[in-house]
Amino acid sequence: MAELNDIANDFLKDEIEDFIERPEERTRIINAFARATPDMQEISAALIDGDNGTVDTLTRKALDEGIEALEVMDDGLIAGMSVVGIKFRENFIFVPEVLACARAMKAGMAHIEPILSASGIEPIGTVIMGTVKGDLHDIGKNLCIMMLRGAGFVVHDLGVDTSEDEFMDAVEEHEAPLLGMSALLTTTMPNMGKTIDAFIDNDMREDVKIMVGGASVTQEFADDMGADGTAEDAVGCVELAQRLLEELKQEQDD
Amino acid sequence: MEEHVIKQMKGRDRVLAALQGEPVDRTPVCNPTSVATVELMDLVDAPFPDANRDPELMARLAATSYTELGFDTIMPVFTIIQESSALGCDIQWEQKDNWPTVRMNNPIWNDVDDIKVPSDFLTHRDTKCVLDAISRLKKEYGDEVAIIGKTMGPWSLGYHTFGVEPFLLTSLDDPGKTHLALDRMKEITVEFGRAQIEAGADALTLPDHATGDLVSGEYYRRFLRDLHIEMVERIPIPLIMHICGRTVDRMGYIAETGFAAFHFDSKNTPMESMEAVDGQISLVGNINNPETLFARGPDEVGHEVCQNLEHGIHMVGPECAVPLQASIENLKAIPDAVKEWHRNHGCGGTACGGTANGGTLNGESKETDRGKTGQ
Repeated sequence: MAELNDIANDFLKDEIEDFIERPEERTRIINAFARATPDMQEISAALIDGDNGTVDTLTRKALDEGIEALEVMDDGLIAGMSVVGIKFRENFIFVPEVLACARAMKAGMAHIEPILSASGIEPIGTVIMGTVKGDLHDIGKNLCIMMLRGAGFVVHDLGVDTSEDEFMDAVEEHEAPLLGMSALLTTTMPNMGKTIDAFIDNDMREDVKIMVGGASVTQEFADDMGADGTAEDAVGCVELAQRLLEELKQEQDD
Repeated sequence: MEEHVIKQMKGRDRVLAALQGEPVDRTPVCNPTSVATVELMDLVDAPFPDANRDPELMARLAATSYTELGFDTIMPVFTIIQESSALGCDIQWEQKDNWPTVRMNNPIWNDVDDIKVPSDFLTHRDTKCVLDAISRLKKEYGDEVAIIGKTMGPWSLGYHTFGVEPFLLTSLDDPGKTHLALDRMKEITVEFGRAQIEAGADALTLPDHATGDLVSGEYYRRFLRDLHIEMVERIPIPLIMHICGRTVDRMGYIAETGFAAFHFDSKNTPMESMEAVDGQISLVGNINNPETLFARGPDEVGHEVCQNLEHGIHMVGPECAVPLQASIENLKAIPDAVKEWHRNHGCGGTACGGTANGGTLNGESKETDRGKTGQ
């Protein structure tokens, strides 16, 4: 097991010292950074700092030097984003800071995605995300998308005011195993249940795990409408997506 | 503690006294946002979206807060989009069973220099509707209940006009630009607020959604506290600040502004909220909307009302605009529970098994800071 001093980058060491409190997360993150090269640590540090210009430059440089795109993504960008997620969950940072970090992640991924796509490397999972019909609020959904992308998922964002048919078409088109629906308003929350019913009516329900979320969505509400899960925040959304993906794989293996 | 006998008050006097921190005969029942529901729309034939755009329908639906539910306030501005519509934002008006919303993905402004208030701002259909509705309500109910208007703060207007993400990202990238934008947009808040006072509003809700779900308490202090102090100075009637979500970390700053009250969300407990404002400002709220008013029954509503009263919350009501599908029965349970709590206390007991003391509906009440009857 690695220790904090095995990490070369001082900024990252300070971040872990100051903000990562849960022992299991601390261990995981120290191990991940200690395993990464100093160059990758530098990318992580710039991403956590929300410095998109530096992430852009360092990512380009690393790829030019022949470092594998997958390594840059996993050890540089995703490792950095995992710290951002925890800081956000624990209220050390708020949405403006997360938006800046997500912008930095995007700057790095702009170099990496074409390479991964050309080499046929499969993402860890594909997720369809959208805000339900009649609801135009999207900041919560967008935060979830940022964190899902930050964890290596490919996300297709259907935007706001999304109909049942649009959700079903997107799941079918992208063969997505995961769907996430968001609603802020109590008036539009029932549209999550209606969409789940539409998946059942069209014999598509067993092919996809469905997550629901929003400020007013409770576990009880999620259970009542037949969703596979809900989460309190964007980090919880990533954990839920990872768990549901595992469950789906197991169900398909059985 | 000095004791005073307080005669039964009219709803208007009760609310204004509570807002000014003066003694009241019983805790007022208020909603500074909206009590419009589909059931009430059907009852008085004033459905959304027309009731947001036609002053006669707006006033008729708003009045149900008093005539049908027994609240001490009437609030005709059901949405947060009236002035944004007048500024030129694209609005999705929806149907009877859903809220109109600004299409924030189509921002109208990109830069500070884009901020311009149209010359017809106060005569635009959607701002004028509010002013006309307030005038009608003042004429008909002005002696009995408090007429509360609503003027959106510059932070909320920033979400609507610049888009949520661009607005928040700019606040980090270029805080000076955000300060400048807020400084210009505050004039919209003041202008619409003053127009509502002229129309007859007794108090104004000022929503400015710097919520803990999006930004830190420190952000509130840095960007909004001083602006809000200025608004209190420039808008000469009691102002009720409204911010949804978790806000305890900024309640202390809000309490420093001079706002008469803070309308707070059920994500903050009555006890921690009372501690945070430390007697400097009245609190109004915080009956849970999605889990209680929307999904449970009158007993659970009554229980939450009592919890608020026992912690000395100054004005009781829903935490925010009530769900459109909430039942009249549940909404009526709020004033019923308030009256019962005070009645039972006067008889020497409590409605909810608690131990707090309080005033009585028609009899004596103890004077405390900020007009509390429950302390």
